[in-house]
Amino acid sequence: MKVLALIWADESGWERLSDGERKEWYGKYRAFAEAAGGKLAPTRAATTVRVRDGKTTVTDGPFAETREQLGGYFVLDVESLDEATKLAAKIPGARHGAVELREAAEEEAA
Amino acid sequence: MQYMLLIYDEEVNWAGMSEADRNAMMAEYFQFTEDLRKSGKHVAGDALQPLSTAKSVRVRDGSAQTTDGPFAETKEALGGYYLVDVDSEEEALEWAAKIPSARIGTIEVRPVVVFPVEATA
Repeated sequence: MKVLALIWADESGWERLSDGERKEWYGKYRAFAEAAGGKLAPTRAATTVRVRDGKTTVTDGPFAETREQLGGYFVLDVESLDEATKLAAKIPGARHGAVELREAAEEEAA
Repeated sequence: MQYMLLIYDEEVNWAGMSEADRNAMMAEYFQFTEDLRKSGKHVAGDALQPLSTAKSVRVRDGSAQTTDGPFAETKEALGGYYLVDVDSEEEALEWAAKIPSARIGTIEVRPVVVFPVEATA
């Protein structure tokens, strides 16, 4: 099964790190390099799009203002949610933020 | 450059639709996905199972804690995503506006960070 691991963490913590510290964190994440995934740019670079009555509205900022922000994700190919949970606990962000696990739907809807 | 198009909508909207409406919406999604693939801009995408199946994992002082439910309780929930490879933010926003759920929910568009070479080598 395919499980999306969403990494939520306080992005201001990342911005306070020195270059050296950031490299160290990238190194920790390298262990997961085999899984598809990515780091998202800070939420200040986010744009939100809504279409109502045929009219598109574009606003700056993320969909939801939260204390911790969605900062990256991995797509895990696992046998069970239990296995996904064990993998999630190894994601460095789990130690200072939270990893949300969402199972992908079977059908190729998206 | 790559952008994540995060689809937030209310699960009750889907649950409250008639089967015919839901099928029509799904057909629109299939068409959108096909258009995106044909354009060569599609990298990845998934629909997610309902929030009732979500789990959150935190590790504190070396011990893992797993709780049921998503990280954040919001009225609209992350229901799926597309990862697109486009030439500009404007193009990412244009695709976002074509996602069927943009009419009933919200699409958040986030640039994906390109890792420094030394970090991925």
